Amino acid sequence: MKKHDRLHRLSVKLWLFLAAFLVFAFFSNDFGLVDIQKTAVILAAGIDKGEDGYTLTAHIAVPKGSDRSKGGTSSVNIKGRGDTISACISDIYADTGWVPKLVFCDLLLLGEEAVQENSFLVLDYFLRNEQMPDSCQIAVCEGSAEEMLSSASAIDDTSALAIEKLLSDAAEKTGQLTRTTLREFSIGYYGVSESGKMPYLGSKTQSGAESAQGGAQAQDASGGAQSGDEKIYEVRGSALFSQGRMVALLSPDETFAYSLLQGEVRSGTFLAHENGEAVTLYVYKNKGSVSLSLGDVPEAALEVVLRVRVADRDGATDVSDLTSSIPSDALLQDATAVITQAISSLWARIGESECDLFQLRQQLFRHHRGEYELWRERLLSVARPNISVTIRPVE
Amino acid sequence: MNITGKRDQDAGAIKEILPAEDILTFDFRAAGGMDFTIVFTDPITDKELLGVLVVRPLLHYEGAATVEAVKERLTSPEVRTERDLDKLAEEVLAGNPVLLFDGADEGIIVGTKKIFFRAIAEPSTDVAVKGPREGFIEDVKINTSLVRRRLKSPELKIEFLKVGRRSATFVAMCYLEGTTPSATVEEVRSRLERIDIDVIPDSSYLTHFLVHKPYSLIKQIGTTEKPDIFCAKIAEGKLGLIVDGSPIALTLPYLAVEDLQSSEDYFVPQARASLTRILRLLAMVTAIYLPAFYIAAQLFKLQLFPIKLLLTISGSIQNIPLSPSLEMLLVLFVLEILNEASIRMPKYVGMALSVVGALVLGETAVNAGFVSTPAIIIIAFSGIGLYAVPNLIEVTSVLRLIMLLVAGSVGTYGIILVTAVLLYLLVTTENYGVPVLAPFSPLRRRDLKDSLIKFNLTALDRRPKTLKSPNKRRLS
Amino acid sequence: MKTVSARQLCFFLAFIAPVGKLILMPSQIVFDAKQDLLFSAALSYLLQSVIVFLVLLAAKKDKTLFALLRERLGTVGARVALSLLALFLFLAALLPMLEQKLLVQSVFYDTLPSILAFAPFFLFSAYLCFHPIAHLGRMWDILMPFSAVGFAGLIALSAGAADFGALLPVGASGMGAIARGTLHSLSWFFDSALLLPLLGRIEQTKRLPLKGTLCYLAGGGAVLLVLAVFYGVFSDIALRQLFAFSRISKYFPGVAVLGRIDYFFIFALTLVMAFYCAMPLHAGVECLKQAFGDTPVRAGGYTLAVNGVMFTLSVLLNYHFLRTQTFMTHTAAWIFPLFPALLVFVLLIGRKHEKA
Repeated sequence: MKKHDRLHRLSVKLWLFLAAFLVFAFFSNDFGLVDIQKTAVILAAGIDKGEDGYTLTAHIAVPKGSDRSKGGTSSVNIKGRGDTISACISDIYADTGWVPKLVFCDLLLLGEEAVQENSFLVLDYFLRNEQMPDSCQIAVCEGSAEEMLSSASAIDDTSALAIEKLLSDAAEKTGQLTRTTLREFSIGYYGVSESGKMPYLGSKTQSGAESAQGGAQAQDASGGAQSGDEKIYEVRGSALFSQGRMVALLSPDETFAYSLLQGEVRSGTFLAHENGEAVTLYVYKNKGSVSLSLGDVPEAALEVVLRVRVADRDGATDVSDLTSSIPSDALLQDATAVITQAISSLWARIGESECDLFQLRQQLFRHHRGEYELWRERLLSVARPNISVTIRPVE
Repeated sequence: MNITGKRDQDAGAIKEILPAEDILTFDFRAAGGMDFTIVFTDPITDKELLGVLVVRPLLHYEGAATVEAVKERLTSPEVRTERDLDKLAEEVLAGNPVLLFDGADEGIIVGTKKIFFRAIAEPSTDVAVKGPREGFIEDVKINTSLVRRRLKSPELKIEFLKVGRRSATFVAMCYLEGTTPSATVEEVRSRLERIDIDVIPDSSYLTHFLVHKPYSLIKQIGTTEKPDIFCAKIAEGKLGLIVDGSPIALTLPYLAVEDLQSSEDYFVPQARASLTRILRLLAMVTAIYLPAFYIAAQLFKLQLFPIKLLLTISGSIQNIPLSPSLEMLLVLFVLEILNEASIRMPKYVGMALSVVGALVLGETAVNAGFVSTPAIIIIAFSGIGLYAVPNLIEVTSVLRLIMLLVAGSVGTYGIILVTAVLLYLLVTTENYGVPVLAPFSPLRRRDLKDSLIKFNLTALDRRPKTLKSPNKRRLS
Repeated sequence: MKTVSARQLCFFLAFIAPVGKLILMPSQIVFDAKQDLLFSAALSYLLQSVIVFLVLLAAKKDKTLFALLRERLGTVGARVALSLLALFLFLAALLPMLEQKLLVQSVFYDTLPSILAFAPFFLFSAYLCFHPIAHLGRMWDILMPFSAVGFAGLIALSAGAADFGALLPVGASGMGAIARGTLHSLSWFFDSALLLPLLGRIEQTKRLPLKGTLCYLAGGGAVLLVLAVFYGVFSDIALRQLFAFSRISKYFPGVAVLGRIDYFFIFALTLVMAFYCAMPLHAGVECLKQAFGDTPVRAGGYTLAVNGVMFTLSVLLNYHFLRTQTFMTHTAAWIFPLFPALLVFVLLIGRKHEKA
């Protein structure tokens, strides 16, 4: 009994010691703590390559305080310069005292110059960083990323969020862009295809437009106000990459053809002609596939099946014409030719650029392992396309 | 010491044992010339009844001066005799007067105790919208009668034991013979008999002597204020204890899941009952963990917030002078004080307290920038969640504080480790051979039918296996 | 509480043991076997399940490990064997403990925390070690739903992002690579050794060895499913993904809207993992208790010594994880199936000691 009491007293002392330690830790905690107030939440990062190294523009969310009437999200752009991306981040920390946190970074925007060399010189840092979500979108932009992120958007207080809206899932279903995450791009780069793609973004000025959210004006680190013109961001095609370097730019039509082949289009439109009259066809349903078969020479079967209806035509002759959305056979024939043409153009572009956009090398590796070594190098140059486009009306 | 048969001497002896000023004597002479003395405790003896049942019949007494003859003349239904003066003194203290006369070899105890009790009302801690509204009161006899009314079975045994050297408190041990395991009955009885304490003012004093881990944070004994729940538990094979002076009855062995149950669950459709039980559990878990995760997320892992919520919080806590953990501790501290004050404060100043608590402390503190709105919302939500399971508030409020301290110092991993220890404590706690966390651990699939999910009454044809009742079937 | 029921044992084998294989083992196997990782993992599982079967056969004798060993090796021999088993278990504990530490530093903190942030684990482990090992049986009952929900939730959130075609072509890495993958994953397979100190405390039911082994293989099936999803999600960059189970689920579309809801499942599995990582230490302490006495003072002594040493190691090896991992997965890998197998063979077919 005495022993039991002694043990009990000992355990009470141990618990008390633990409780005291816990309270001490609570009031003086420092386990490498960087709390919310010392943190710079990076929403997007833009990377540009210049002669003196890299410039990283961190698009940092700034709380608006408790005033809920303003709405939206404010942000500031902080620039860091250095020979590596890591040095740029350190530069930001040194300049501002904010600890940059990438955990919420949802967009990596690469400037034109940054993709002229292997883009993984830039992306390496983000891939290594444990805190960086590799589910973030990546895109190339015309000109410099800094310029685009620092511009005032006409549709959102925060340019990064405006760009993210542009790269939404719904936008992808129109077939006008093909989204890529850091993970997908990295898998393409480190896989047998060594290829990838990114949306190619540009912007145009919308003079005199008022900000939709009516919120705060973005300012850069130097405190200078932005130019008064607000920008509208747009997708200008898809940048193709081989071995990490940008090798070609797909036009919007070719991007659309690629999306159709991926079977991703649900609400896209394209133009065809009937009796010299322009008709817009709305894609209701899309199936697409690219499969590789090996005969004497490799053959890529590029197959698209569409269900379409008429969305718009130059001029309806009567009400019944307006009511019917069923495309005529002639229109469907022309539409088939349009899509076939776009796919042919896409195929030619791929051949020229040596970008294995359809992951044909991967298919060769996965399904024809025995002949992989034989065709690996020349696959894109010797493979023949077999294009099949089937367009049916929605009745 | 035994009675001497000399009236004055014996009355004096009792007064010597009980030298209190409220112990009085009343002397009177019968028609036959025989002198009587009644020793009684002034405030707790029904003097009117004493006059009617004892004095009036004896005023005309002319019979023999023997105890038997005098007893026969009394009209009281509760008359006993006792030779020992100490025991007679005990009876006087209990409110029963003692009648003495010269030549009597025993004192006559007359049951004219004055009983004070409040009316049977719905207990404020266990309200049911649908279902019985009776609640226990402070009198053990009334309480046992409420039990007896519900269980009209000869198998219902109510054993009275006296606990407390000075208080001599009656404890009624209620069980169904053949249904409650005899080992449990024996052990409880033996534990009660071994209790050597001077006063038992309330049933809560007994719990320390009845549980196997008295220092544990984990609740190990069931409590209820409602006779219907008490009887249902006894019918399951548990043992109940009613303590004189306490409206809170104890039941054991205790299962953690019983505090998630409510009497109302048996009067509503099973889907609703299951839903509310799950809700209660979620509310309790939220109450314990929400402030902790909020702090851990702010200090160590921002990703626990969706980005938009993060920006809102980030905006709200700008310029708050305290660190997130201290801010939360402060708000929790204020809530606990408000809670404590609102329970103890006279009802007529309750409104003032609400105004001070909600308006002055809440809104003004936010406007002044002492604390942030999210912190108040989180603590308020946690406070509400806590009251969804009122029987566990004592445990859950402590756990909430522990989790908060751990979250503020170690973060989410600390919360997980404390949860692990808590689970370990729960699964290894058992009383009277019954694990507290049953039927989840050890897993008893059959008993799950009335745990978080409540099955139809017809599916509950057997008593819980966990309770090891010798009478297994309850529905034929 | 003094014994572990057959059901609880099956829960351990099917639901608890698999969680220890979800942190670094997937990327370790990918390093060697690439898209053939499932074969390597399956081989390791098969090998370990044979030993699990043999241990459960030995459990039928219903005697403690010390009693069984004393029958065959004498008291001194039994003490030596139990001490060696304890050492083996402490060695086995090292890799799961260090990888859990890395997981905690990476997944539970936004910025690299102090080394001390993992110290509470040793308090927890010490708390467990002090208590009898058979108490864990009830813990397995309660941890089962956490594990099941964790696994199911993560698979449900991540399967949509997986390209299972990445597992093709089957066998392309070659037998050598698959065998290397198996060999280098062996240091995560010591579950049979964890069962040894439980001998004599396992409730015997009909065909328990078979049921237990099947449960272990079912748990293996769940691990293979996670591995398949893992490789499907990350394909050629899977090697880089160090904390497999915490990474696969963040691509679920709902995560973008609701935030990291997958953390709910990750936390559930981490809770189970805390018990699994402490178990080799617990089992090792139990060996010492059986061999040299289990008075509270002694039990406290073993507990403090073992956890103190492990805490010191976790600090000392903080900057040498890769070297430690290489040692455990390459140099010392063979010892993980061999030692428990040897011990169980002694129990099953060893001759009885003359003095026994």
